[in-house]
Amino acid sequence: MMNHDEAARLLGPYQDGELDLTTCVRLEEHLAGCPLCQQKLAGERELTELIGAETPRFTASPFLKTRIQAALRSESAAPETMHWWKQLSPAWLSSGLAGAAVVLVLLAIGLSSMAGIPELDQDAIANHVRSLQASHLMDVVSTDQHTVKPWFAGKLDYSPQVVDLGLSGYPLIGGRLDVLDHRDVAAIIYQRRKHYINLFIWPAGAHALRDRLYNQNGYHALGWTRSGMNYLAVSELGEKEFRDFVTMVQDQTVDTRPGE
Amino acid sequence: MVEQHRDVGGNPDRSGFEQVFLPHLDAAYNLARWLLRNDQDAEDAVQEAYMRAYKAFARFRGGDGKAWFMTILRNVCYTMIKKLRSHETPEPFDEEIHQTMGESEMQEAFRQKANAESLHGALEKLPDEFREIIVLHDLEGLAYKEIAAVAGIPIGTVMSRLARARARLRTELVAAQAREAL
Repeated sequence: MMNHDEAARLLGPYQDGELDLTTCVRLEEHLAGCPLCQQKLAGERELTELIGAETPRFTASPFLKTRIQAALRSESAAPETMHWWKQLSPAWLSSGLAGAAVVLVLLAIGLSSMAGIPELDQDAIANHVRSLQASHLMDVVSTDQHTVKPWFAGKLDYSPQVVDLGLSGYPLIGGRLDVLDHRDVAAIIYQRRKHYINLFIWPAGAHALRDRLYNQNGYHALGWTRSGMNYLAVSELGEKEFRDFVTMVQDQTVDTRPGE
Repeated sequence: MVEQHRDVGGNPDRSGFEQVFLPHLDAAYNLARWLLRNDQDAEDAVQEAYMRAYKAFARFRGGDGKAWFMTILRNVCYTMIKKLRSHETPEPFDEEIHQTMGESEMQEAFRQKANAESLHGALEKLPDEFREIIVLHDLEGLAYKEIAAVAGIPIGTVMSRLARARARLRTELVAAQAREAL
């Protein structure tokens, strides 16, 4: 038989239809003999019905739909700059001299496009700040890299390297899924005294992250690309300690190409 | 198996995208409007979310399109909230602080006199995280599991936060009724 406290806690999920059958049956057994829970459940029902019946649900204006469709049209009509290299003819690449020229051009373009991506840094900082609010910081709480890493399996289409810096004074405290660079990314959380560091890891796309510090309102962001993966660290730590952290992560990240 | 939603030219498949995601326009707008509190910002956020989702569409692995899209939208909204309210002192959200008065007192005080106006006002007064979870669950009908995915929190947290959000809403409603009675 379920005790009263547990039953009281489960009334919400019960009326939301979120309990499994067994728990449901156990709760109903308790409910049958507990006027307090019955009363509480009635109150809960009353409130949710009221919310459902009386709260306005805002609906989008037809203009918004038109506006979005137009924006999508112009977006899909725009040439896809990220994949322009796909259009290079293979004949070009097979010819030695031209091939070398292409490599040079690629290098030049690569370097110029590696300039900092402040938008990405800003988004990462926003994610970091948000992670410190609410209880959004961690989805998996663990100081063990062998717990944190497997947790991401099945949630991401890649496996982030999780390094342990506990002995250096930056203990690993957990991980979380987040969204950055328009995709799901792994966020690994480290702690330094009362400060937290979010380390975002995701497969590198067309642009590599340049090893450059970005500052905004006391937050630091620093991104780099290694072994085909992007790393972006964010924290409100002092700059020196932040850079120490980055250096340690860079030193400990084992240099393996994905798939090897 | 990663499905590639791209056409022959390498561009994301626009009509496929619209088919999957435009049906969620109202749900998206409702959440954005409740979080951002005005029409213009909500429309901008929704449009921005659609553009982001479109660019990321090639990585959409099928499954729950609504949760996937709402996750993106929620991110856009919080980024905007941060920008819009950057001049205000941010009030850190603390579930402990937002504990509410005793359940039974509430039950006693609560009378079903609340109308659309008082509910709207009470919901507006809730912290973002509480307002959001009530909108997602009670208005948009997302399951706990979907909310967990959208908000990036464990299901247990969804459960406790929703309970607290409802209790807090009740407190606000009672307080509003008390003010009316004066």
